[in-house]
Amino acid sequence: MIEVLAWLVLALPLLSCLALSLWPGEPPKAYTRAVGLGLPAIGFVLSAVIFAVLLGRDAGDRTEVSTLWNWVRSDTLSIDLALQIDPLSVLMMLVVTGVGSLIVWYSTEYMDHDRDYRRFFAELGFFLFSMLLLVMAANFFFLIVGWGLVGLASYLLIGFYYDKPSAVAASKKAFVINVIGDVGMVLAAFILVRELGTLDYGEVFAAAPGEMGMGTGVSEMVAILLFVGAAAKSAQIPLHTWLPDAMEGPTPVSALIHAATMVTAGVYMIVRSNVLYELAPYASDAVAIVGALTLLMAATIAFVQEDIKRILAWSTVSQIGYMIMAAGLGAYSAGMFHFLTHAFFKALLFLGAGIVIHALADQQSIDRMGGLKKHLRVAYLTMAVGCLAIAAIPPFSGFFSKDEIIAYSFAAGDLGVVLGIVGLVAGGLTAFYMFRLFFRVFHGPEPEGGYDVEHPHAPGPAMTIPVVVLAALAAVAGFLQVPEAWHPLEDWLAPAITAAPDLHPSGAQILISMIGGTALALAAIWFAHWMYVADPGRRLRMAGTLAGYRRLLHDQYRFDHAFEAAAVQPGRDLGDGLMATVERGGAQGIPTGVARAAILAGRGLRLAQTGLVRTYALAMVAGVAILGVIAILVVR
Amino acid sequence: MMETMEGVPLGLYLAVSGALFLMGLLGVLIRRNPLLLLLAVELMLNSANVALVGFSRHWNVTDGHIFALVVMVVAAAEVVIGLGLVVATFKQRRALDVDRMTVLKG
Repeated sequence: MIEVLAWLVLALPLLSCLALSLWPGEPPKAYTRAVGLGLPAIGFVLSAVIFAVLLGRDAGDRTEVSTLWNWVRSDTLSIDLALQIDPLSVLMMLVVTGVGSLIVWYSTEYMDHDRDYRRFFAELGFFLFSMLLLVMAANFFFLIVGWGLVGLASYLLIGFYYDKPSAVAASKKAFVINVIGDVGMVLAAFILVRELGTLDYGEVFAAAPGEMGMGTGVSEMVAILLFVGAAAKSAQIPLHTWLPDAMEGPTPVSALIHAATMVTAGVYMIVRSNVLYELAPYASDAVAIVGALTLLMAATIAFVQEDIKRILAWSTVSQIGYMIMAAGLGAYSAGMFHFLTHAFFKALLFLGAGIVIHALADQQSIDRMGGLKKHLRVAYLTMAVGCLAIAAIPPFSGFFSKDEIIAYSFAAGDLGVVLGIVGLVAGGLTAFYMFRLFFRVFHGPEPEGGYDVEHPHAPGPAMTIPVVVLAALAAVAGFLQVPEAWHPLEDWLAPAITAAPDLHPSGAQILISMIGGTALALAAIWFAHWMYVADPGRRLRMAGTLAGYRRLLHDQYRFDHAFEAAAVQPGRDLGDGLMATVERGGAQGIPTGVARAAILAGRGLRLAQTGLVRTYALAMVAGVAILGVIAILVVR
Repeated sequence: MMETMEGVPLGLYLAVSGALFLMGLLGVLIRRNPLLLLLAVELMLNSANVALVGFSRHWNVTDGHIFALVVMVVAAAEVVIGLGLVVATFKQRRALDVDRMTVLKG
């Protein structure tokens, strides 16, 4: 029964996309709302039913593979169009359809005054379908198919305002960088096919330890190549630069695709491939180090951003760094736990930011905000919950998930201790930049010259209710798991995470992570308060301090410049050079030369055209005479 | 009568034919009046007819006669079109001189 439900969950968003796109002309808004929101919401209900059914079974009996038909059959390779329903994919399905439906609901009001109402919801439906295919696929082949399709959906939605040059550039950048990742994934799949002759999850994970071996070059290579895909999709160094630019898309898109779901696909993939990563210790360490570097780097960049959505984007990069770090260290369920809480509080923060942006007529600079507390009461309270959650203040959800990652890091050897300290410090940085945003938007004086609108207007119910629901989830979701004491999520995921090392943080490690993390976060919040609320002028007086470092942060550690110099400009030069030589000289030169020769020949031959009939007749006679002479000579 | 006719050797046929052809050819090359050009072309066609009939008699078959009849039909058709063109040109230009019809000069 649950197999049918699973296929329905996958098909419903696709159906919504088709029902909206195939409608001739612009459909009535009520129809768009009903189809765009209704079908994914049904998908969520069905996912919940699947979850309940699996919950009723024994832990060992919770994995089902449903094959629709055989997609590829060759001599040694057979690929099925198949779904895998197991605890990990069901968790992802619940988040994708649940948070997805909330955000679609929010969008029905947010996009109401915008153009292309139908196209927006059709593309959201397409995204939900692609993301569900990614998380429900039962083999690497359809994982990669979903991987590519979410990239396309992301491209379409970043470039939603397709006549805005910056949005088009951002969508192109996201697509190009994601293709680099796709190439990594495809190469990893090639190696798996060569080594194991299959792409099916069950068969790969069963055969890999024996066939590929522990710590061998092949295992490391597969893990690294898969991580290239994860790094591109999940915005890890050095492929992270597309995500902040992706904020050109509408805010609900940023919340759904570029915060809650798609960008965590890399984490999902690593957790799904935990068997492969446990075979590759060096690659896993590299993954963890990249995650830690990303989380530290992104947290510092978020300090100096002025655009509310870019702050949240860098914060997303940083939070995914936590998840990637946890996955690299073998704390897979901790990574998935943070994915879950992050999906709630980051979607909440983006939707809250959307309310603010909406109220101020598309103003995104926090310099033009301030004192909004009294105008946007609901946004103020819910954003407060979101900021406390991401800053890891107990008892909000981020506290449990982030501290679990740090505690497990401490338990994961020497590297883990170093990375755990990085995570602890970055937690303090997170609290500072989030409350910098919070205080500057909601507290402090109103901006000079007033707001861009007469009165910031409070949102309607369709925007308020999803935010409140997400705030409730962000507040309480942390109680799903407390290290070493209460871990239903870990037990739930256990059948899918077969190779996880047995990490057990000691009591002291848990205490350090909890108390240290909370103390740092509180100190950071106090510091943000001291700087932005206690004396609003202090910020401007301190603007000159650390000017050099601030400039580096504004340049986002010069990654874009480095890419420009290392890849983009040489590529452009190569193109210009080939244009000047091969194109002009060869590809264009040869046809031009032939044409010119024909023209010259024609110019010469036209002298023969006298227009005198008798000349032609004489030429004809002469020709016949010559042919006759030749004929006679030959016949002789 | 038949015997004298049969006594005419092939060479004479060809000599008359060649002479007619050369006259026609020279007419085409030298004359400037399109009417006379057409006349000269007719001459050349009929020289070919003489040759055909001569060969036909020489080999004692009738193919040549039939060919000569076909050539006459073609020549008649050609003259109809040619004369039509000449009349049309004359109506436009009021002159009959092929050396002045040089519109096709390249």
